[in-house]
Amino acid sequence: MWSLGVIVHLLGTIVSLWPEKSTRQNPPNIFWEPISILKPLKGCDSGLEENLSTFLDLDYPSYELLFSVASLEDPAYMVAKKIIERNPQIAAKLIVAPVNLGPNPKVNNMVRAYEQARNDLVLISDSNVRVDKGYLKQISRYMRDKKVGMVTSVISGIHGEGLGGKLEAIFLNSFYARWMKLLFRFGKPCVVGKSMLFRKSTAQRFGGINVLARYLAEDYMAGQAIKKLGLQVVLASEPVPQIIGKLQFKDFWLRHIRWGRIRKSQVFLAFLIEPVLFSFNSCFFGAVFLETILDSNPVFTFLAQIMIWFLLDVPTLVKSGVKPNCRAFLVWALRESLAFPLWINIAFGNTVQWRGKQLKLEGGGLLVTA
Amino acid sequence: MMLADFHVHSTFSDGKLTIPAVVDLYGQRGFGAIAITDHVGESRTVIGKAAGHLGLCLTKATFPLYLEILKSEAERAWRLYRMVVIPGVELSKNSISNYRSAHIIALGIKKFMSADGDVADIARNIRNEGAISIAAHPVDSGKFEKQTYHLWNRRFELAQAFDAWEVASGDRLFPEVLNSSLPKIASSDLHIARHMTSWKTLLDCERHPEAILDSIKKQKLSFRFYRDSKNDNIHSDIHSGYGSLVESRSYRSSFGDYRQSLA
Repeated sequence: MWSLGVIVHLLGTIVSLWPEKSTRQNPPNIFWEPISILKPLKGCDSGLEENLSTFLDLDYPSYELLFSVASLEDPAYMVAKKIIERNPQIAAKLIVAPVNLGPNPKVNNMVRAYEQARNDLVLISDSNVRVDKGYLKQISRYMRDKKVGMVTSVISGIHGEGLGGKLEAIFLNSFYARWMKLLFRFGKPCVVGKSMLFRKSTAQRFGGINVLARYLAEDYMAGQAIKKLGLQVVLASEPVPQIIGKLQFKDFWLRHIRWGRIRKSQVFLAFLIEPVLFSFNSCFFGAVFLETILDSNPVFTFLAQIMIWFLLDVPTLVKSGVKPNCRAFLVWALRESLAFPLWINIAFGNTVQWRGKQLKLEGGGLLVTA
Repeated sequence: MMLADFHVHSTFSDGKLTIPAVVDLYGQRGFGAIAITDHVGESRTVIGKAAGHLGLCLTKATFPLYLEILKSEAERAWRLYRMVVIPGVELSKNSISNYRSAHIIALGIKKFMSADGDVADIARNIRNEGAISIAAHPVDSGKFEKQTYHLWNRRFELAQAFDAWEVASGDRLFPEVLNSSLPKIASSDLHIARHMTSWKTLLDCERHPEAILDSIKKQKLSFRFYRDSKNDNIHSDIHSGYGSLVESRSYRSSFGDYRQSLA
């Protein structure tokens, strides 16, 4: 168990740091296909206006912005309205047309916007991401390959405040980034709905996004459907920054319960072996093993392994803009120590809290309202 | 006349080809009809649950996507090849004992069907849903795989419960089924492209799902051994291209008494 955890960690570190081949350079004078950007909004995320504003002057010849909210009372409605009014030069629309196709509130929120999208190339982008000018070119270049059906991105966590926010940032920039790249490298795509580019014509082949309203992880299922069509799901080389903002510890905990229960529901066998891959568990078994064969001090060997484990995570953290100081180590260690208690909590239960709703998960990620 | 195959798997269960790849495989070879029949495992047994977790069978969660992809691929198959694609499943009851194992194909399904319960009830449910039921490889398939003898052991009791019994699976013809008075069908049980070289069903009806299913029910069909030159290197000299479809050996010439038994 010890060696499995260590091997996977080393492999993940190598894969996440492996430089991408520069075969996807943009040739000059190429045609950039128009893109419809869907922005499903719910409440005022941290820095919402700034986040949305980064989509106003992207370096891309033709794109439209489609903001969608579930109700006029949603505070995000006024923010999006203000942005559209202030920027008449941008092709943008605000759509308030709630539908109820299934228990997934995000899909319900964006279905009408999706239907109104004028372009075949559609990008679903969450409200809490902030992008740079070249973002659309960076991700759309992959779609020139006809074998590619979807492009997603690794999310890096920035501006995490409060204990929950800091834990979330360290999680996204270490464990999550490593695993995402590892899974893609081994042909097991795990799509993230925060940045998901695909063709409407391709999605129509699996019933459009409407069919995804019955799943909690609509992004993961979309990726699976694309794969079932024989198309590739690729991971863009550049991460997309997510503004985490202020999060309480409870927010962090509930969010990870939700993520974990999705994993349990959709990839149960992988979920079962997760504890072996947690640093604290792996290092504990390593300490016991080394004490047995070398009669070493288990406390010392445990702490030494934890430190090595952290040092292996440092390059991934630095790549995401995290300074590897003492505070980062303490937050990292706290996050790692919470992994197993979280797993236990996830294992016993099938309900999740999402956007104010209590939802029950069935096998395979199917949702029913609890 | 058209060639048809009513037992084909895709990556939605343990097949190696995606549904679009299956459609192109058959469409390019001029087939008139296929049924994609991915496994559905039992929801209450360890084997069934494990198969679901390993992605080796359809589940309630993956079924909606399966049906939607089948629908869009059926349209594409018709547009490109004038080939009918019928949605199906293979309800798979797997036990450690071969004598308790049974696979039942449902053709023309519109909603998820469970593999739980007794086989007689499953066959009845299939018909109640307007689909047709086929007893899949009911005798020794001759392959290194799980054998399913349960239906054959109860054949007298279940004779009327199924619309057809597989008389051949893959490249193997089943003499026991052939010499019986049970309604018959021949299919490839295709999991990989190489399985194209196998027994197929030959139909003479309109290229329409209802007409095709009706032909199976009324047993207006015959069987042919199809040798695929593209995916079968050994026999690549027999045909010049993979558009060459049917080898002359057929059930009708080899087993002339079958028509009589049907009558």
